Amino acid sequence: MNPILRRLSILGLALAVPFAATATDYKVGPGSTLGFSGKFQGQQFDGTFGKFDAAISYDPANLATAKFDVTVDVATAKTGDGDRDNALPTPDFFDASKFPKAHYVTTGFTRDAKGGVVANGNLTLHGVTKPLALKVAFKPAAGGANLSVTGTLKRLDFGVGSGEYKDTGTIADEVLVNGTLNLLPK
Amino acid sequence: MPLRSDATRWSTVAKTFHWTMALLILGNGAFAFWMDGLKPSLNKINMFALHKSIGLTVLALFLLRVLWRFADRRPPHTPGPRWQMVAMHAVHALLYVLIVALPLTGWAFNSAHGYPLQYFRQFNLPAIVGHDEGLANVLIEVHEYLFWFLLLLLVPHVGGALKHHIVDRDDTLRRMLPFGRAKRSTPTPPGDSA
Repeated sequence: MNPILRRLSILGLALAVPFAATATDYKVGPGSTLGFSGKFQGQQFDGTFGKFDAAISYDPANLATAKFDVTVDVATAKTGDGDRDNALPTPDFFDASKFPKAHYVTTGFTRDAKGGVVANGNLTLHGVTKPLALKVAFKPAAGGANLSVTGTLKRLDFGVGSGEYKDTGTIADEVLVNGTLNLLPK
Repeated sequence: MPLRSDATRWSTVAKTFHWTMALLILGNGAFAFWMDGLKPSLNKINMFALHKSIGLTVLALFLLRVLWRFADRRPPHTPGPRWQMVAMHAVHALLYVLIVALPLTGWAFNSAHGYPLQYFRQFNLPAIVGHDEGLANVLIEVHEYLFWFLLLLLVPHVGGALKHHIVDRDDTLRRMLPFGRAKRSTPTPPGDSA
């Protein structure tokens, strides 16, 4: 092995070993949900995405190595109302044929004043990328872990609701996002 | 402008209830047929919300109107043949039932379908029946048929008033008209017209 290669391999090991030792990689297990809550005519409605995937690296003891990478098929949103579910994928809202996926990637993790973990990241939705912070609750469980996240976004920041649907008097701007993931080791 | 009814005419309050509700109910009915034809849009949703708010207003006005009727006197019925008196009471009773049943079936349909119910964007009202699409489909039909029934009842209601006014030439209609004044101080029995 020539000296440069050896040096590189040592460097590689030096970098890789701490990662392997601290962050634990997970995939999404059955029973996981990813959803949102909005307000229509003053009444809350709850939706879930039928199809999404997430790669989660998380070790509560080493947040520097944690990372969430979540991809959501926005056309699979279901809210318990046929008219609304038909409207959501159209260009009036998600425009799912043009922007089929929403994507969330963390950029770093911090702790809030109460010591709770906050994931900071960027959400790309409807072709628009904006920062989104999520509160994180992580609990190791038998054969994996339970992860729940909640956050709030403004739908109009992402251009969800075009034309007359920008009216926040009928459809509130604020949307709560939530996820409850049953994580399995990768 | 008398606040309370007397022997010759309805009070301003009673007239206001009668004509405001007549306008709201018929207007809301016509409005419903118009809004139903709109293409799906937020505007259509907002128009439905307006229809619901007007209907709830009718329901609230009805409750106030009934309370007022208990407190107020009313001018005596214009005497007439027994069958006319029976018909008049039946039509009035049915109109009152419909004034309540129309908003309530609308509210029940709204609840059964799972729609929110917001009063003029101010506050929300609860569902009065559980989520049930089958029931919702029945209730919306009932809601519409009740309106047709109400229009049918306007034939004897308006027809009777016009008959009193034009044929009998008495004050039955005039005493309910917004700015109407009774020409005679007492109702005239039939066959006694001077």
